[in-house]
Amino acid sequence: MRAEVWIFAICTFFFVLVTPAYWFVTDSSDEGPEWTGTAALVMTALLAAMVTMYLAVQARKLDDRPEDLKDAEIADGAGELGFFPPYSWWPLWCAMTFGVLVLGVIFGWWLFLIGMGLGVLALSGWVFEYYRGVHAH
Amino acid sequence: MAPVATVSAAIPASRLRGQHGRPDMVSVGTIIWLSSELMFFAALFAAYFTIRAAEVDLWAQETTHLNVPFAAANTTILVLSSFTCQMGVFAAERSAAKGGPKVGRSGSLLQVGEWGMREWFILTYLMGAVFMAGQALEYTELVHAGLTMQSSAYGSMFYLTTGFHGIHVAGGLIAFLLVLGRTYLARRFTHEQAVSAIVVSYYWHFVDVVWIGLFATIYLIM
Repeated sequence: MRAEVWIFAICTFFFVLVTPAYWFVTDSSDEGPEWTGTAALVMTALLAAMVTMYLAVQARKLDDRPEDLKDAEIADGAGELGFFPPYSWWPLWCAMTFGVLVLGVIFGWWLFLIGMGLGVLALSGWVFEYYRGVHAH
Repeated sequence: MAPVATVSAAIPASRLRGQHGRPDMVSVGTIIWLSSELMFFAALFAAYFTIRAAEVDLWAQETTHLNVPFAAANTTILVLSSFTCQMGVFAAERSAAKGGPKVGRSGSLLQVGEWGMREWFILTYLMGAVFMAGQALEYTELVHAGLTMQSSAYGSMFYLTTGFHGIHVAGGLIAFLLVLGRTYLARRFTHEQAVSAIVVSYYWHFVDVVWIGLFATIYLIM
């Protein structure tokens, strides 16, 4: 995963250089310093730094993946990639109860409280779906 | 009479042990989502600084309402909660050589060294809740001082930035409860539960760092 780390490290380096440059260039103009763009650039630098850090930690923890090896075969990447639930109705209930919550902000807090109660059920249903019944383990 | 068999589905290996040699998809997805969250807060920071540059007098007048020592104490609680959260992750990630993941404590509640993931996460939850209570107290005082969302551009920016952050803290508290719920529902501690705990810690650290930025912006730079 070192290739990915390098790509984001180079981006971080770029934004760390560009952000103060942007500030000083706009500061010397007639309109004065430009806060909007500087704030956005600072956060973009932090974004690139965050992804670099995550990838660096993962690269250190894990062995090289098939895509990191020059002599890997396609078949080396085969196998279970992760757990993907075949289907679930719970996201629908979560979305609907979220709708009730938002309407509650408009129409009154009594509706918001009803939405909270339904939301606890819907969210628990979703998060614990594969921990109950035949999936209990 | 046919023998009664208990029905149970096979648990996929990716849930129990994870996939060898790959970052877990849930953690990759969390980082991508946190990147978009970071840009969401970038918009709030940009808005704050832009309006501040245009309304210098308003800022000088309204920032006098802020109770900086109180906010500093509240910030300390949130920053410390990030450390307790990480202690919980260390317990959940403990290597097999040291006895494997430590979900619950092995000593009494007072033996902090023997705490497992649950105890550390519950402590983190309580610290997050104290932070939110402090925030509510601060809002009450500011509203009494006449600073509301509608009162001025400063009020709008203050409540938008700290309010959106507060909603994120509340979301983190709910996430801690759900992770704890999973460890209590399942009889064994799986890879999936460890990853849930780790991604919630990513989120919590993120919310914590954003608050440090907001604290510096609102209470220190003003």
